[in-house]
Amino acid sequence: MAQSGQEREAATEHVLHIVPSRGWGFPSLRELWMSREIIYFLTWRDVKVRYKQTVIGAAWAILQPVLTMIVFSLFFGRLAGIPSEGVPYPIFSYCGLLPWTLFAQGLSQASNSLVGGANLITKIYFPRSIIPLSAVLVGLVDFVLAFLVLVAMMVYYRIFPGVNVVWLPGFLLLSLITSLGVGLWLSALNVQFRDVRYTVPFLTQIWMFATPVIYPSSLLHGSWRVLLGLNPMTTVVEGFRWSLLGVGRPPGAMCAVSSLVALALLVSGALYFRRVERTFADVV
Amino acid sequence: MSRVAIRVEGLGKRYRIGAVHKRHDRLSEALMKTATAPIRRLRAVGKPSSADQSIWALKDVSFEVREGEVLGVIGRNGSGKSTLLKVLSRITEPTAGCAEIRGRVGSLLEVGTGFHPDLTGRENVYLNGAILGMNRKEIARKFDEIVAFAEVERFLDTQVKHYSSGMQVRLAFAVAAHVDPEVLFLDEVLAVGDHAFREKCFARLREVRTNGKTVLLVSHDMASVENLCSQAMWLDGGQVQAWGKPSEVVEKYIPKGANPA
Repeated sequence: MAQSGQEREAATEHVLHIVPSRGWGFPSLRELWMSREIIYFLTWRDVKVRYKQTVIGAAWAILQPVLTMIVFSLFFGRLAGIPSEGVPYPIFSYCGLLPWTLFAQGLSQASNSLVGGANLITKIYFPRSIIPLSAVLVGLVDFVLAFLVLVAMMVYYRIFPGVNVVWLPGFLLLSLITSLGVGLWLSALNVQFRDVRYTVPFLTQIWMFATPVIYPSSLLHGSWRVLLGLNPMTTVVEGFRWSLLGVGRPPGAMCAVSSLVALALLVSGALYFRRVERTFADVV
Repeated sequence: MSRVAIRVEGLGKRYRIGAVHKRHDRLSEALMKTATAPIRRLRAVGKPSSADQSIWALKDVSFEVREGEVLGVIGRNGSGKSTLLKVLSRITEPTAGCAEIRGRVGSLLEVGTGFHPDLTGRENVYLNGAILGMNRKEIARKFDEIVAFAEVERFLDTQVKHYSSGMQVRLAFAVAAHVDPEVLFLDEVLAVGDHAFREKCFARLREVRTNGKTVLLVSHDMASVENLCSQAMWLDGGQVQAWGKPSEVVEKYIPKGANPA
């Protein structure tokens, strides 16, 4: 399974071979590592451009989850009376909204990233997977800011995390992996089929209801819980709540299933992306 | 005898064109096409098959460029020059043949690739430099030189969308001129800026040549091809029509006394 542009290093030489590629393969991790500066700069560019010439600037990163939390607390917490496993509903939903917003933003940015970056793709070479990757990473900046609000809320409600908080980076990583996997699929599909971009808001909404952001997973029983577990974001959201607020059970078996699904998404996304990457500059 | 920097063998690039093979822009269309494929196949039995219309933008192109040489590629619009550069820059894949390039590649198919109008001049230098393959330390080291070359010191912290087009081009070229790869591809980017700036660019290109770097230059300006290049190649219809000394190849492409096509 030949890949185009294979680089072979003989002594200090750097010889590039360009041949038509056939078959399947993965994006070269080595190439990605060597292009890490581009990843940094593209992410940095998107973050900067987002807040240039805005008045409130970075506060937008906080407003969205906070306002959503308020709306949810009013309608789902108070009106519908959805249980929140022993902690006040606002912090219950906000803790779920935090990783969810990161995921949803990653998806929506990634899906149109290749088409939006057409001027780059057709004029210069770098591993194309950098584009959806940096689109997903941009959300991390917003995540950090929104996280500070969560810390403030925890202080306000006097809820302090136990030792389980060490697992938090693991759940964050799971969220990023899922985001990247689906992002690779969507961005690659969108180059060929432009209507993918319009299905993303819909997809994100449905996905949110399939994730226990608004409600606790204890509300569901038996086979519904298994289905819920197939959604990696379930583990992420529940994991966030468990490690930060100490509610719910430790993820356990559900976590294993979720990780497998997330990895499957990432691997299949990477394979598909690499396969159609060769046509991007011609099709976009 | 210096080593071969670029070796191209039988390179070909085919593009599908026309309405026969319609690109599926909608997922629904693709699904429909897949679903009705058996029916269409039945209908087509006995009828002459309509082959996809395709053109070979490059066909069986082979050449070698040694280190330190500057190859000028000339030809009409649509002769395959830009496609050749795109394939060698790995932007698009060849359909046939292969190519081998020794050394770090810098490719300038357009000035200002990646420039974002909302970012300042300073920010764009870093962004553009990184996209072209430099790392942060290198850009920081060459930053003052780049700015001096572009003559935009006073406007570094202004957003690039407020620059004049000349300033944008100068800044973009200044970054590109400092990338310093072993092999450089230029696609008609020299025809920009005013006379003084073009002189600077040519001087820079001559410097690059004396430093033993290899350059592949696409240009419509016969004078610069004859001035700067050590070899020339005439492409027409995707195939190599002539190869050799610049003055000879230019003469074949545009015989003296004839009007340029």
